Amino acid sequence: MSKWECQVCGYVYDPEVGDEVGGIAPGVAFEDLPEDWVCPECGVGKDMFEEVN
Amino acid sequence: MQVAIVGNGIAGTTTARFVGERVPDAKITIYSREPYAYYSRPRLIDFIAGEAPLEGMPQYDAAWYEKRHIETCLSCEVASIDTAGKTLTLSSGQQHSYDVLVLATGANAFVPPIAGVEKKGVGTLRTLQDAVTLCQAAQCCDRIVVLGGGLLGLDTAISFIHFGTAVTVVEAQPWLLPRQLDREGAAVLQHMVESRGVRVITDDLCLQVLGEEQVEGIRLKSGLELPACQLVISAGVRANIALAKQAGLACNRGILVNERMETSAPQVYAVGDCAEFNGNVWGIIPVALAQARVAASQIAGEVTTLYTDLVPSTTLQVGGIELTSIGEVNPVGEGFQEYRYADDAHAVYKKVVVRDGIVVGAIMFGDRSDLPAITRLVSQKIDVTAVASRLVSSDFNVGDWLKSATA
Repeated sequence: MSKWECQVCGYVYDPEVGDEVGGIAPGVAFEDLPEDWVCPECGVGKDMFEEVN
Repeated sequence: MQVAIVGNGIAGTTTARFVGERVPDAKITIYSREPYAYYSRPRLIDFIAGEAPLEGMPQYDAAWYEKRHIETCLSCEVASIDTAGKTLTLSSGQQHSYDVLVLATGANAFVPPIAGVEKKGVGTLRTLQDAVTLCQAAQCCDRIVVLGGGLLGLDTAISFIHFGTAVTVVEAQPWLLPRQLDREGAAVLQHMVESRGVRVITDDLCLQVLGEEQVEGIRLKSGLELPACQLVISAGVRANIALAKQAGLACNRGILVNERMETSAPQVYAVGDCAEFNGNVWGIIPVALAQARVAASQIAGEVTTLYTDLVPSTTLQVGGIELTSIGEVNPVGEGFQEYRYADDAHAVYKKVVVRDGIVVGAIMFGDRSDLPAITRLVSQKIDVTAVASRLVSSDFNVGDWLKSATA
């Protein structure tokens, strides 16, 4: 599973870590996050994330 | 289709990105007076704090732009626009034509007319160049004063600590983050900021910048004098509308736009911190992104996508301090109920403001575990009458209740 980076603030979503603030347990792929999930650091939506190569 | 975008910040770059994805034959050019390709403005704080290197600041490499058929024209100041002839003229004299123009000229730091404010050592933080200049100054300055205890002022003050300089924040309002916090929440915040080594002075105003050519300190209304070799002014921003005015576009505080992000001239859009919709110039990222999405959709021919004002949400996240403020947190007038929860030992402060059974504002400070659920309550206008008084309670899970309420 890939990491995804917020293009606004630089936060990186790491599926192995999940997102505690957003109530996302470790192991959830970025693609499977709820559609209304937002960046825990700056609050923008999923469409502002890009896959980290 | 030639799409010209003036401005290289998050609004202009996001518009370019969405247009590039949706209009395969678009030739997009981003014009910027700055020498840098797009960088994240919130990350300027990380740069000053020594956590992000200069070379890592530009977000995208050349391949990213190429793939989206976006050209960048950096260090290119657009001097004038002819909306009738659909051309723009650069300060070099070069003329470029366009089919569609997007103004994303952003905002400039506001510098109040304080006596002596033109002295050397007085700066603002808005661009990467500003951040580089401030870092150089901080290396040989042992006392920095930041004027303004808003989000950017606090972020900036805390990011300077690692230089080993003494940092003081002066806020004219009675408490820090006056737009995002109430007095109780601000007291918790002030304690945290002070414990990180920043001196905080509230309810006082800078009247004069002291020194000959170089700033040596400031004098406050209370009579207090603070020595300083660097002054950073963080007193808000003003929309950058000079170019739009020259082009004859209708402007007020910002460039006037409708729900399609159209300005008063055909095929000219405005988005982000320079745009004024419905009397509002928000100057915050979520609004810039929403407007960029609408403008890109309109340019792509999806004309039913319209902009409506969001409930503003802002986050402060620096030096272990985490707080988010949504909507109306200091309601004026009648008909509001306010519910608070404070746990001083853990520096937690939560508040919700309810009107007619709907959450219209919230502060989540120190414990943001309910933030996604609270954000949903606000944006979906969910009736919370039955649980309003328990929303901020430490043993109430808003997310679980929301699931059962909307199931």
